[in-house]
Amino acid sequence: MTETNIQNRESAQESALASLEWPVERVIKPAKRRLKVRHLWRERPIIQVLASRDFKVKYKQSVLGPLWLVFQPIALLLAFLVAFRGLADVQTSGVPYSVFALTGLTAWAFVQAALTIGAASLVSNINYIRFTPCPRPAFPIAAMIASLPAFVVTGLGAIVAAAIAGRLSPKIVLLPLGLLWLLLLMFGVVSILAALAVRYRDIISALPFLLQVGLFLAPVGYSLPELSSTVRTIVELNPLTGVIEGLRWMMLSNYEVPIEPIAISLFLTALLLVGGWRLFTRLETTMADDI
Amino acid sequence: MTSAAVNGSRPVAIHAEGLRKQFQLGEHQSLLRTVRVLAGRGRVDPTAGFVALGGVDFSINRGESLGIVGTNGSGKSTLLQILAGTTLPTSGEMHVHGRVVPLLAVGLGFHPELTGRENVMLFASSLGIPREMIKARMGNVADFAELGRHMDTPVKRFSSGMLSRLSFSIAMQFPADVYVFDEVLAVVDGEFEERCLNEIDRLRSEGRTVVFVSHNLDQVERVADRVLWMHQGLVERFGPTHQVLEAYHRHTAHEE
Repeated sequence: MTETNIQNRESAQESALASLEWPVERVIKPAKRRLKVRHLWRERPIIQVLASRDFKVKYKQSVLGPLWLVFQPIALLLAFLVAFRGLADVQTSGVPYSVFALTGLTAWAFVQAALTIGAASLVSNINYIRFTPCPRPAFPIAAMIASLPAFVVTGLGAIVAAAIAGRLSPKIVLLPLGLLWLLLLMFGVVSILAALAVRYRDIISALPFLLQVGLFLAPVGYSLPELSSTVRTIVELNPLTGVIEGLRWMMLSNYEVPIEPIAISLFLTALLLVGGWRLFTRLETTMADDI
Repeated sequence: MTSAAVNGSRPVAIHAEGLRKQFQLGEHQSLLRTVRVLAGRGRVDPTAGFVALGGVDFSINRGESLGIVGTNGSGKSTLLQILAGTTLPTSGEMHVHGRVVPLLAVGLGFHPELTGRENVMLFASSLGIPREMIKARMGNVADFAELGRHMDTPVKRFSSGMLSRLSFSIAMQFPADVYVFDEVLAVVDGEFEERCLNEIDRLRSEGRTVVFVSHNLDQVERVADRVLWMHQGLVERFGPTHQVLEAYHRHTAHEE
């Protein structure tokens, strides 16, 4: 590329920058909220950079690097095989157990990564919160994106396993929709946890425990018909239950899913998403003071 | 822009009016109270807490540079945080014209595990600079900071001087209307300091606005057109650099 070309491009960008913000007058005054959903769109660049940073930083000075993405679900699958299959002899509606568990772990791998990076996403960026105008929702959103590889890697494992077992469904084309659902649900949850963690670090301390309990309160390693009716009601109230069963239904052929947990989960997703955004934008204005 | 500067009809760049900022004292705030306040019941007690800014007014024009002096805890940093948009005032208003590049702390926003290059991308993106432009100017940043081959080293291995160099170089390479520097030249060597001060002169001659906070009064004298002297959250004096610094000198000598 020629020198002039580069210069033209740069000056074009400079004038683009100028027309974007200058000579805009910004009035800074007390406000309950200052962020709107539409503001998020223009924050794409920083979200992208933060997401790639979150992903890179996780594996710096690590020998195995992203291979950890493969080991984690395999380790959980082995533990499930011992506990649910070996000890409890859980039945999985005619689906081979490993295939059943891997489809559940696909969602779970994402949930675990999103909660771990996401809940601490503001607290661990204290310098950004205190000293830069970087929009706060960029941090939980970047955490979601940085967690996507966990979904993709485990998901590919589940798809291969389902194909080998001859249970792969053509409904698999719906998987992006299922992922979107999972993303929206987790964005709601993570926004709430991250915003509250700015004031109450208890959230960070409670997280490992929450994740351990969550794994057993969702049909990741067992199927719903195996549960007694009381326990089943409790598990169906977990917003993750519907998404996990929904994703499983998309991946597996001849797999029946009851409508109740799906409906409950869709409803809770909408509630958590709207409520999470409201809470986040409300707390966002004082984050630099509270952190 | 310089012609406008000469005939004294420069537009306002930053204008603050009755700016107050109050912090809650102590570390913990009960969960119950937070829930109440969020639910709209129970108000934050307006008399409780620490007043960091107690009603600040000032105004500077485009192309001017403002020096801010004052002891620790006088409200300088809070004022800059409001200007940068990281926190909101409790009451009052601030009007800012154009893009702000805030450099409020050395190495701020750098991630220790990432390399110099990766951190330039990160920090510049957080200022809203497009990715292509950051890539195109990466070389300029490295050159100005004179960090050359260290740009591929994780910044956790950088000295504080190297971090300052990198911070300052990033701020300098991207266009903005208002540049804010809070004690960023405290740990750099004389040669780099001189180059930075020259760069600040260049910004001013281009009609950009500079806000410069330092405990080094020689630097303030060199850079500022006007000085804002903050004391206990209030404006003690605001006026031409020479006059205010003289008064400030007398005051600090008296204190000692």
